[in-house]
Amino acid sequence: MKKVLIVDDEPHLRLLYETELRRAGYETMTAANAEQGLEYVETMHPDLVILDIRMAGMDGVEALQRILDRDNTIPVILNTAYSSYRENFMTWAADAYITKSSDVSELVQTTRELLSSRPVRA
Amino acid sequence: MSTLQPFKKTLTLILAGGQGERLYPLTKDRSKPAVPFGGVYRIIDFTLSNCINSGLKRIFVFTQYKSYSLDKHLQRGWNVFNYEAGEFLYRIPPQHRVGVKWYEGTADAVYHNIYLLEKNKPDYVLVLSGDHVYKMDYGELLAFHLGHDAPLTLGAAVVPRDGAHHFGIVHVDERWRVVDFVEKPSDPPTIPGDPDHCLVNMGVYLFDTPDLVRVVCQDTRNTASHHDFGKDVIPGLVAEGKVHAFPFRDRDGRPAYWRDIGTLDSYYQASMDLVARQPQLDLYDRDWPFRAWQPPLPPAKSVHGFTADRSLPGMVTNSIIGGGTIVSGARVERSILGRGVRVNSYCRVTESIIMDDVNVGRYAELHRVIVDKNVVIPEGMIIGRDPDKDRKLFRVTDDGIVAVPKGMQLE
Repeated sequence: MKKVLIVDDEPHLRLLYETELRRAGYETMTAANAEQGLEYVETMHPDLVILDIRMAGMDGVEALQRILDRDNTIPVILNTAYSSYRENFMTWAADAYITKSSDVSELVQTTRELLSSRPVRA
Repeated sequence: MSTLQPFKKTLTLILAGGQGERLYPLTKDRSKPAVPFGGVYRIIDFTLSNCINSGLKRIFVFTQYKSYSLDKHLQRGWNVFNYEAGEFLYRIPPQHRVGVKWYEGTADAVYHNIYLLEKNKPDYVLVLSGDHVYKMDYGELLAFHLGHDAPLTLGAAVVPRDGAHHFGIVHVDERWRVVDFVEKPSDPPTIPGDPDHCLVNMGVYLFDTPDLVRVVCQDTRNTASHHDFGKDVIPGLVAEGKVHAFPFRDRDGRPAYWRDIGTLDSYYQASMDLVARQPQLDLYDRDWPFRAWQPPLPPAKSVHGFTADRSLPGMVTNSIIGGGTIVSGARVERSILGRGVRVNSYCRVTESIIMDDVNVGRYAELHRVIVDKNVVIPEGMIIGRDPDKDRKLFRVTDDGIVAVPKGMQLE
């Protein structure tokens, strides 16, 4: 089963995403900040990362660079309430950019598309 | 000088990290762009002068290997920017912003520094190499770019078809759209309407900024990539049909002079080009000055050398001589002497390149030799006449050029 790491500082969103992604057939794990997320990328080897941008401490833009430095093949979805980050060149290495919404179908659909071509990790 | 308005929205990135192994020993203590050239210049001075003369004064120089010499040169020789007016030249070594690695290639150097593009938000980005010798008005390139609807315009040198099989050739259609790159072809594709000439990629790239960001971000995700513009990124864009080539010609429409200083032999040849009667690259064009770090030195001179029984004229013919150099009772022909050089009595220096602060002892003879800085050539030493003997002490190239490393102690 493919593993999705959710990095977001809002507990209710983590819960919402976990619920929906599990329903869609994925294993999930969550981190409440970027530092913890980076640790999980190294130790738990997720197949995909859903990354919030505006968080206390390290933000998602910097976390994105660091994740890709560790593993440039891992798909990363940037997920934020602010569409303005889309203009920020430093977010362009992400695989997808999704504006937060109560309807998570776009997030689930994009996760499915990005994971469909990725082999299951050993 | 160019006065095009879009230049204010253009940012220049100069790739100056080249290790230059094929230029060894000139790159023993310095990166390729910092290698002295033409008596008083460093190779990067040509690209930087082109920028200034074109009105491009927002410049980042990406450095990496052995950058001390280049740093020092940029600080001393290129302190000409008005920072208050928005001009700048900043040196950018790897800063571990996106990871703990060095620049893995030219495209990776740009990816590492995307934050600079984000901060400056230029409309266009001009990507240049710090190790080419040429005179180019980038304004003409920009005008061409604005006139052709493509995210990337590359500068292309115009070379005779006969010698083109040595190069990577840019194959264009009749509207200058690049359809293919062909590496060292036996039957090189020519310029439409000009069956005698071909185009060579100069490594001069003018991008619409969003497209540059997009391609370097894609490239960093590609594990099969070398993260190099020439090898990976540009061929990808060519395959998408998104690249145009700008033919690099002089004011009279003839193929313009451009040299990639890659090897000792190409370094030597480009240097010798300068001592031709009418060099293709005119250092004396007041409308296009090439800047260099100019320390306060007295003028060069040649003097008689005196010995007990006679006096010998110091003779210099068909040569370039840097400030503070004295040729005393010696003959120098078709050579380039740097600054503060002493050539002493009875010496003969022919078709050679002598860098700063070299002392050539009496009776020495140098023929087709490159002597790097701070070397004392002992009295009576002959270099360049016997390759087998020279090979025991020095690197001798395929063309028979002998290279004496910086500061080498000779007896």
